[in-house]
Amino acid sequence: MPHTVVEATPETAMLLCTGIEMSFGGVPVLKGVDLHLQPGTVTALAGENGAGKSTLMKIASGQYRPDAGEVRVRGELLPTGSTKAATGLGVAIVPQELASIPELTVYENLFVGREIRTPLGTLNRLAMIRQATASLQDFGLDIDPTVQIGSLPVGVRQIIEIVKATSRGARVLLLDEPTSAIAEREVGHLAEVVRNLRQQGVSVLFTTHKMEEIRAMADRVVVLRDGRLITDAALSEITDDGIVTAMIGRELENLFPDLGGHGDEIVLRVEDLVVAPGADPVSFTVRRGEILGLAGLVGAGRSELIECIYGIRKPLSGTVTVSGKPLKPGRPGSAIAQHVAIVPEDRKGAGAVLAMSVLDNATLPRIAAFSRFGVITERKRRSAVGAVMASMRLKSNGLGQHMENLSGGNQQKVVLGRWLTGTVDTLLLDEPTRGVDVGARSEIYRIIVDLAAQGMAVVMASSDMPEILSLAHRALVMRGFGVAGELSRSQLAAPDVQDTIFRLASGLDASTPSSPQEPTA
Amino acid sequence: MSTTNADVVSTQDTRRWTSLIGDLLVRHIMIVVMLLIVAFFAYRSARFATADNMLTILIAAAPFALIALGQTLVILTGGIDLSVGSVIAASAMAAAWSAKHFGDNPIFPLLAAVLAGLVAGAVNGLVVSRLNVPPFIATLGMLTLASGIAYVIGNGAPINGLPSTYGMWANSGIGGFTIPVVLMIVAILAFAFIMRRTAYGLRVYAVGGNRLAAEIAGVRSRGVLFSVYLISGLLAGLSGLMLSSRVITGAPNLGQGYELDAIAAVVIGGASLMGGRGTIWGTAIGLLLIQTINNGLDLLLVPSYWQNVIKGVIIVAAVTVDVWAAKRSK
Repeated sequence: MPHTVVEATPETAMLLCTGIEMSFGGVPVLKGVDLHLQPGTVTALAGENGAGKSTLMKIASGQYRPDAGEVRVRGELLPTGSTKAATGLGVAIVPQELASIPELTVYENLFVGREIRTPLGTLNRLAMIRQATASLQDFGLDIDPTVQIGSLPVGVRQIIEIVKATSRGARVLLLDEPTSAIAEREVGHLAEVVRNLRQQGVSVLFTTHKMEEIRAMADRVVVLRDGRLITDAALSEITDDGIVTAMIGRELENLFPDLGGHGDEIVLRVEDLVVAPGADPVSFTVRRGEILGLAGLVGAGRSELIECIYGIRKPLSGTVTVSGKPLKPGRPGSAIAQHVAIVPEDRKGAGAVLAMSVLDNATLPRIAAFSRFGVITERKRRSAVGAVMASMRLKSNGLGQHMENLSGGNQQKVVLGRWLTGTVDTLLLDEPTRGVDVGARSEIYRIIVDLAAQGMAVVMASSDMPEILSLAHRALVMRGFGVAGELSRSQLAAPDVQDTIFRLASGLDASTPSSPQEPTA
Repeated sequence: MSTTNADVVSTQDTRRWTSLIGDLLVRHIMIVVMLLIVAFFAYRSARFATADNMLTILIAAAPFALIALGQTLVILTGGIDLSVGSVIAASAMAAAWSAKHFGDNPIFPLLAAVLAGLVAGAVNGLVVSRLNVPPFIATLGMLTLASGIAYVIGNGAPINGLPSTYGMWANSGIGGFTIPVVLMIVAILAFAFIMRRTAYGLRVYAVGGNRLAAEIAGVRSRGVLFSVYLISGLLAGLSGLMLSSRVITGAPNLGQGYELDAIAAVVIGGASLMGGRGTIWGTAIGLLLIQTINNGLDLLLVPSYWQNVIKGVIIVAAVTVDVWAAKRSK
């Protein structure tokens, strides 16, 4: 399957980066990277969060001006920091966050900035619609170009972005995490589109975390680690283990740490909590040191349940008690006072204040403990936050660094670590490893298991099946904002457990080996 | 913690001194702009660089300083307070009315002005934080409403013939440092401390930077929002008292358009209208910049219409330079 390239030298490259260096706020992100992309090849750019993948792409597409080094497109020097010049030379980027304008239609999005006009100078909508239909069909998209783009699934919008880039003559296509937001079924379509582009001689560079996607789409894999290019190999010459080792810089032993036992004392008790109108009441308990997994399909109500427990959302009825004391519904402050901590699913939108420093973010939830008569005691918070962040192995340029300059994995460490300057009895985790790469992931797993071993009651919602199977003492499978079934540790270790969970989550079959809703206390 | 400290030191060591000074200049670009403007006026006018004139600038700056401080807090939460100019008028009229009716004791006008400012601020705060009306609209309403009330209090006319004690608030002081100047200096220092060193300050930044994340971290964001409008109203009330006390008259058109100068000062000071970014020191510099330009142009006998033209250009140019510098230092 790998496409053979005759004489892949830097001279024949479509895109050639040499000696790229870049740092943000004094933190070096790229330390001299050389990369060449050959025509008609697909290159996977692998690396952990913070390795510098997105930065490299933004430099190659002219969005950032590198501190040193140069970018050449088909031999021509790319004027530094000019997106317009990059577009002119045929370099297009499809960013991680979609750039389409949701209120406009598909064809308007495709033609915005280079509209087809009538001789009178007005918009020639018919011609645009005709051309849009044709180019969409070229990519195997059978959609009406007059629908609003916001109404389409993310995966389709992503492909439309690719259509837009290539129909403007892009010969080098950079895809930043193209699969992070789309469903598995849509990944296949994307791979097809990429293969199609390769045949047309386009050079494609994409970033991903997932090994299957590297295998399905790439000819060649390039690994960045700590701002350096560690590996550059044809896909046929490297094993999966080789790629992972190159990414994290050490052998990947066990991704999941061993799970210890747990205590008997009940910490968190949820009674008859009705999360959404018409949903069944939810009741369960979590003991000291126990990790309770929440499994289920997207939209099953896992996040909503966690939000109701913590008080970001008000339940319709029911109570939450922590160590025997009831929490006030809809009051995060009451949960915090009872030593409940949360790591929300949406790190940037709900977890961190990006414009503030690591120190200020970490001060916020424990602000009372770090201040006297309302005045913050600087030394106290510095030593407490510094100690926690050091124990979490946070990679930052000091505690004063702004959150927005940290990688996703490091942001997550701050969002979790900020609670640990004080007592935490109940820890609520919502998709704790979303957008976190393999290396940081195993670190976060270790932290979670350690925290449970210290006596916290942990509730962990996760879409990642191995997480639930390996990290939970017990799991609830949710469906329609209620609990569809409960699986014990021994049931989680059963060989057919994935099937059981799937059937419970989708409601296909009620006759499961376990009896749902069995009392736990 | 030792590892993070080591990181900081190593990256700073590698930087060269020249670029360090360059960085410093870029980061404090407004101070550079300020010095250039001061140098220009000092060169063109013999009177500009006298101690007397510096004091004149401070006296003129004081009422603006108070509302600009309030405005800074509001803008840090991502809001805006358009009503401060009118609240100045309403509280000045309330103060003058109380002096007219309750006699010589200067404490009555103070209470009346503070009360009027607090009420206006509280209404703004409630409408924004409880009813979720966008701050622009809520305070636009208050702008019109408070201006109307100012005219209602005086039956459409200024309140004259006030007792001479009414002038005490603006005109007494020690050696030229009148009450407004002292109040301005104290307020700037106090708010700089509050925003940098207190739990309240951190909460204001957090709510402005990301309201949901702040709430999840236990911040009662509604309370924070309410408080910034209340503070802005209170400071506008005091500002109204100072302004009307200076001329010992209550004028219903006092403070008209002042909100725009206050917003300009905050923005020149580097604050983001989206919230979460900005400092009290920045606002203080922005304020002094505007007041210095006003004063310098007066001394050069530039006609007032042209002054507005020049001021408008300088405001946009200053912020443009700041945006450029922020981009460069990134």
